[in-house]
Amino acid sequence: MEKERIFVNLTKIAFAIIILRSFYLQVIRYPYYRNLSNQNCIRTVETGIPRGTIYDRNMRVLVKDAPSLHLVFVPYDVESPEKEASILANIIDLDKVSVMRRFKTRYGNPFDRVFLKRRLTQEEVARIEEYAARLPGIFIQEGLIREHVLGKNTCHVVGYTGEITEQQLLSYRDRGYKPGDFIGQDGLERFYDEYLRGQAGGKQIEVDATGHQRKELGKTGSVPGDDLVLTIDQVIQEIAYDELGDRRGCVVAMDPRNGQILALVSKPGFDVNDLQSYLEREGHPFLNRAIKGMYSPGSVFKIITELAALESGTIEEYDRIECTGQIEVADRVFHCWKEEGHGWVDINLAFPYSCNVFFGTVGLKTGVARMLEFADMFDLGRATGIDLPGEKDGYLPDRREIDPLNLSIGQGPILATPLQLLSMISTVANGGNIWKPYLVKEIISPDGGKIKEIDPVIKKTVYISPENMEILRRGLKNVVLFGTGGQARVAGVEVAGKTGTVQRAHRELEMGTHGFFVCYAPADNPQISLVVFLDSASSPECSAIAGKILQRVLVPEKKPVEIQDMEEGTENAETP
Amino acid sequence: MLKHLKKLFEERKLFGWTYLLISIGLLLLFTASKGIFMREALFLKQCLWLILGTVIAAFVKKADYRDFQKLAPLFYIIILFCLVMVLFVGRGSGASRWIRLGWFNFQPSEFAKLITIITLAAYLSEKDIRRPHILLFSLFIIGIPFLFILKQPDLGTAFIFILVFFAILYQAGGSKGQILTLFVIGVLSSPVLWFMMKPYQRERILTFLNPMRDPLGKGYNLIQSIITIGSGGFWGRGFLRGTQTKLAFLPEYHTDFIFCVLAEELGFFGVMLLLFIYYMFFRIIVGIIYSTRDRFARLMGTGILTALVSQAVINMCMTMGLFPVVGIPLPFISYGGSSLIVSLICVVLLVNIEENSLMF
Repeated sequence: MEKERIFVNLTKIAFAIIILRSFYLQVIRYPYYRNLSNQNCIRTVETGIPRGTIYDRNMRVLVKDAPSLHLVFVPYDVESPEKEASILANIIDLDKVSVMRRFKTRYGNPFDRVFLKRRLTQEEVARIEEYAARLPGIFIQEGLIREHVLGKNTCHVVGYTGEITEQQLLSYRDRGYKPGDFIGQDGLERFYDEYLRGQAGGKQIEVDATGHQRKELGKTGSVPGDDLVLTIDQVIQEIAYDELGDRRGCVVAMDPRNGQILALVSKPGFDVNDLQSYLEREGHPFLNRAIKGMYSPGSVFKIITELAALESGTIEEYDRIECTGQIEVADRVFHCWKEEGHGWVDINLAFPYSCNVFFGTVGLKTGVARMLEFADMFDLGRATGIDLPGEKDGYLPDRREIDPLNLSIGQGPILATPLQLLSMISTVANGGNIWKPYLVKEIISPDGGKIKEIDPVIKKTVYISPENMEILRRGLKNVVLFGTGGQARVAGVEVAGKTGTVQRAHRELEMGTHGFFVCYAPADNPQISLVVFLDSASSPECSAIAGKILQRVLVPEKKPVEIQDMEEGTENAETP
Repeated sequence: MLKHLKKLFEERKLFGWTYLLISIGLLLLFTASKGIFMREALFLKQCLWLILGTVIAAFVKKADYRDFQKLAPLFYIIILFCLVMVLFVGRGSGASRWIRLGWFNFQPSEFAKLITIITLAAYLSEKDIRRPHILLFSLFIIGIPFLFILKQPDLGTAFIFILVFFAILYQAGGSKGQILTLFVIGVLSSPVLWFMMKPYQRERILTFLNPMRDPLGKGYNLIQSIITIGSGGFWGRGFLRGTQTKLAFLPEYHTDFIFCVLAEELGFFGVMLLLFIYYMFFRIIVGIIYSTRDRFARLMGTGILTALVSQAVINMCMTMGLFPVVGIPLPFISYGGSSLIVSLICVVLLVNIEENSLMF
């Protein structure tokens, strides 16, 4: 049987090869392998996962990797945890109890390096090296940290990286993450983690009995991640950060012609490489107010009220209403922010003066349903879709939840993020297009090749009759020219905007107000739109900040215009 | 009792060797489960699999293997359906190979191997392979599950499919010209395959060629695997006394790298012993194949033999750095329910063939 022989012989040959190989490994090379095995002396050292660089729109570096030294330990090599922990606690800023806790945790592989402290200072490195002989199993290892060139300025846009959590390990199983890996945890670092993340480099080393490197067995080079080119303009970003000062609030600037975000600042911020110390600070430093803060829009909402009333024909341009400082509806008294009243006003005066009585009356006539319909048309109550994680939807109430008086002046259970209001004013600025705001316009590979180009997206187009749009835009100009937003005037450039101040009436402890200013400029050829939000302030302060930012951005050569004594008032809408 | 067992052993030699292999596997799983990762659950689970497998085998034993010839097309369609399912709902790290069914994972590619062999044998038992359209249709039968498995991707099993196909082709009387042509086409199309591969698969092949290429990832396994085998020496460190596997230097030592546990604890001697048992086992199968005159039985037997031998050989070779790490279990020994059950069914089918051939 020839076939039978062939099958048997092939098997014999294969088995012979296995026996020979096994003989070679187990008999001839036995001493070598037994030695390697006895000492358990092969260790793996990772040199960190490089991440891509983040540039502003003009290719100025905003965030990059920087080398850094970390303190690590190999659980298997730590000889006397108690003693070593107390040495460490003495020489560097580490707590003995927490070090002991880390030593005693059971790790998946006792030969993997575990981080004790990241970002060692020069001094700490020197001290650890001095005591190295008494610290078996504890090493200094090269690694990478993220360096934000503008410091805290970009913390909310870029976000931060952090050790992968158990939860994330489970849900991203297929992406090849390992415990201890650093991945983007917020902001662009998180949203674009797949692109930014490179491949870890590392080496396998042979170590001696104390775990110190004896010989390098093999090495893998790291592969850098892809770079991001943002729509952010570093200059505008810095101006916004500067002008916001140390107020709590946020500033977002956008190009109303395409939805590109030019600047996004939220304060207070945090240091991306020292998250721990910001965890308990006041003022919610980790909250990106621009996209995660939800606030009543206040008088900014009058833009919607005006459009709803005009478009539905409830009022005509020159219909006048007398403001006596208050109106009575049923058993309630509704106040205008100006106690003595504005007298007889039509919409061309009521809007710049932000007259509550006028808009309240108009709101009553127009009805909640119509106003909500227009708010919905402008995408209030829906996240804008910006490329950042965690954006909030805001809240558009059901028609039964809110009365027309409150809604017409943006009070009550209606909430919007500053970014949503920016999107709204930008839509007015460009004549009706709702652009999707975005931060990353290009993804490039480390060698400069283009990986992805992100084009502007129009989410939808809102149709408003040209006449009514004209009335609104004139009103917005007048807000700055002689109305409540006078502080935003800029010499040489006409600004159009709207103020909003909201009293947080129902909180007993904080009776303050928060303020908004949304605007665009130049008024007849809008190139930039802006929202300024302050946590505990009123709108004139917001418009002042907006004015300074616009002045520095649009006419940097001129001095700010001296603002004459204006009739300044806070348009507090009081809900009794 | 003992006498009874002895009688059984003599009459059903194949069962004897099979259960000897399985016992060795359980012992190795037991020692492997004593490491710093306690894996006793795996040992117990494998015992459960063995019981379940034996019950299934007993059922198959009652059936006539020739029934499978008639049922082949039905099984074939069912398994194709399962393979498609795996692509959509499959799970597994990096590749989708398993379907979750209640408390266990079901690996259709293991069953696909056996069913494809049966289908191909059934088809060729009445056809002349030398006619081109018959050859083409045979390629078709094996090609569909092959492509699905390649897509999962499960390179190892796909490779076994190729070997099985050539073996059956040869056994069925394919001409040298046919075999040579297919071989050349296969070699020429391998660059295409390279581009179809997922990056991690290319990485594995490159790692095989040079383990130091990726010392942190796949290369780490291979380096540790070789150290583990080498450190066993001639007599080994002794049962339950291995250190490499106990200290978890080697991941996956209960599945694809279980051979290392044997090599470390029982040394070169243990390896020789295992090879001897495998050899005896395979010799008996060859004997069965050539004792029958039924063409279907012979073709099926050849397919099963090829699948088992190549799995054993490839698994051992990959742990010793002679073959890329492709994730093929060591038959009867590695942890894994689907693999064990399918292997047991294979043995039962062979025993059925043996019994029937005696009747002639």
